Amino acid sequence: MNENFKISSSEIKKIKPLNQKEKKIRLENLKLFNQQGFPSRNQEDWKFSDINQIFSKNFKNLESFKNKIKPKSINFIKEFDHNHILMVNGKLENSEFKFEDKSKIKIKSYNDSNFSINNEENSLINLNNALSNNGLFLEVANNYRLEKAIIIYNVFTDDLKDNLLNNKNKIILGKNSELHIVEYNINQSKNKFIYNTIENIILNENASLKTINLQANQNEGFFYKFSKGKMKSNSYYSSFIFSSGPKFNKIDAEFDLEGENCDCNIKSALFIDKGKHQEIKTKINHLVPNCKSYQKIKSVVDAEGKGVYQGKIYVKDIAQKTNAYQLSKALLLSENSEFNSKPELEIYADDVKCSHGSTSGSVDENSIHYLMTRGLSKKQAVQLLVNGFLNEIIGDIKSNSVKKFIENKIEIQIHGY
Amino acid sequence: MLVIKNLKASINNREILKGLNLKINPGEVHAIMGPNGSGKSTLANVLSGKNGYKISGEVKYLGESLNDIPVEERAQKGIFLAFQYPLEIPGVNTNNFLKTSLNTIKKAKGEKEIDTIAFLELVKEKAKELGIDEKILSRQLNVGFSGGEKKKNEILQMKILDPNLIILDETDSGLDIDALKIISDGVNSSRSEKKSFLVITHYQRLLEYIKPDHVHVLSDGKIIKSGTSELALELEKKGYKKLN
Repeated sequence: MNENFKISSSEIKKIKPLNQKEKKIRLENLKLFNQQGFPSRNQEDWKFSDINQIFSKNFKNLESFKNKIKPKSINFIKEFDHNHILMVNGKLENSEFKFEDKSKIKIKSYNDSNFSINNEENSLINLNNALSNNGLFLEVANNYRLEKAIIIYNVFTDDLKDNLLNNKNKIILGKNSELHIVEYNINQSKNKFIYNTIENIILNENASLKTINLQANQNEGFFYKFSKGKMKSNSYYSSFIFSSGPKFNKIDAEFDLEGENCDCNIKSALFIDKGKHQEIKTKINHLVPNCKSYQKIKSVVDAEGKGVYQGKIYVKDIAQKTNAYQLSKALLLSENSEFNSKPELEIYADDVKCSHGSTSGSVDENSIHYLMTRGLSKKQAVQLLVNGFLNEIIGDIKSNSVKKFIENKIEIQIHGY
Repeated sequence: MLVIKNLKASINNREILKGLNLKINPGEVHAIMGPNGSGKSTLANVLSGKNGYKISGEVKYLGESLNDIPVEERAQKGIFLAFQYPLEIPGVNTNNFLKTSLNTIKKAKGEKEIDTIAFLELVKEKAKELGIDEKILSRQLNVGFSGGEKKKNEILQMKILDPNLIILDETDSGLDIDALKIISDGVNSSRSEKKSFLVITHYQRLLEYIKPDHVHVLSDGKIIKSGTSELALELEKKGYKKLN
């Protein structure tokens, strides 16, 4: 058995300014975390991703980061017009809204100290409550629809090493507002570090939020993100998750559909290369009638890689006429590839349409042969099939320029395989 | 072009080809006919280099033994197999695939790669000859194509990749008369002194459109009779059984 990882209370003293009340809350949360340690496979939500074991294996010592270092030069996206927000190690550095009415967008560094002291089932929340002191607060006013997408450049500097970063983000969309976000992760560190984010999303009546999360460079980062969303009536949410390259990545999304006629979509294309570990976990709570949710998760797992999908659809007794769909497909490139899938439906209403499915299999040998008879090497053929497998998700992106950009980034990752 | 001597092939300990001999000279069209299970498709697979067969005997292509040459190198050297059942490859754009394929082969031959504009012109010209709607070429490879479209797409690939030895594995199956005519015209217009064809078919019908120089009857893994196109007509009248 591994000894629980303990985080020293001296880490809290690094957070300044800090009043007595806040300090107490943080210390309490840290105590709760230290009692539990990192989540382990004994917990259902973590049974395929035992981070207690994973972190113990990869870290001896963890230190909060002081955030003084400037990033190396960043390749900003030139392929399409966009507003931008620059986050460095989770801290808001600057933002630029060239294409918008600036009075309609509120943006600031987020440091919410009104957090609770609960013994959370997920100890990473206690850890985050104890140590987070950075993040992004973004609010769009009622009736404002942004002209262009916002790209959030999430840069991790090259001096990160054995660091533990805790951050909180909050995104609020006013009634009838619309926002597109591309979260573009750029990792300059060659070393191991942990990034633990909690994100709150509130979509008011008729609001529409479309997000793309892109992780596409080889790195040694360990990422965990918990997104908690609340959707009011007629709101729309879509999330594309494209992830390849990080050592560990778990995206944990829980959405409450609180108003009627909501539409919640989560699609992901994961390329899990050699020795990497990624998980998508979702929970969609249909709490009222007439809402729709749709999830399609596609994963490619290379040798010694591990992929996980845990998806739950909950339908409350009053949530009649719910339409919920969930599908996971995995492509295993080697006998040593592993994929675990746990799709779940929990339905208490009787007039609903819910379906789920899960498949995993290896690359079709006949397809490889067909492509090879056209002169392609086996490697080229597999790359083409992998690309094709993931393209189904990428193809759903509406904007052609964004689609091209993502296609390119993912192709580069696959060709490195 | 192609010399096959005493070729035996087995899969899962079952012998399918039992000592096959065949010689194809440059410019010739050979037809191989035979009943179900006689080993026709196995011959096509083995010539393409497909894994999984245990092989003995000798196959020489342009004077060089193919025994240890992997699938993609055979293609790069100019051997082309038009599949009986072309595979559907989801998510892969037909044009992109064709361009990758062509450039891989050109690169292997030491030729200059083709740029996108020149490639699209080439495809447009060849697609027109075969009556292929250009729209399907920007779709996923063979996905949602009709039987006829799939077979035409095979011939389009043949025309673009410009191979020396072309094996047509039951290209006529599942085709209506109009499609059969278009595909045969496509093959006939590719005939030259430098190219050889091996046409594998059940039926004499295809051979009315693609006139073979030689016809062979394959039965139980061996060629049991060879002749001219008259042999095909005779088979059509009498059936395979009478030959045994």
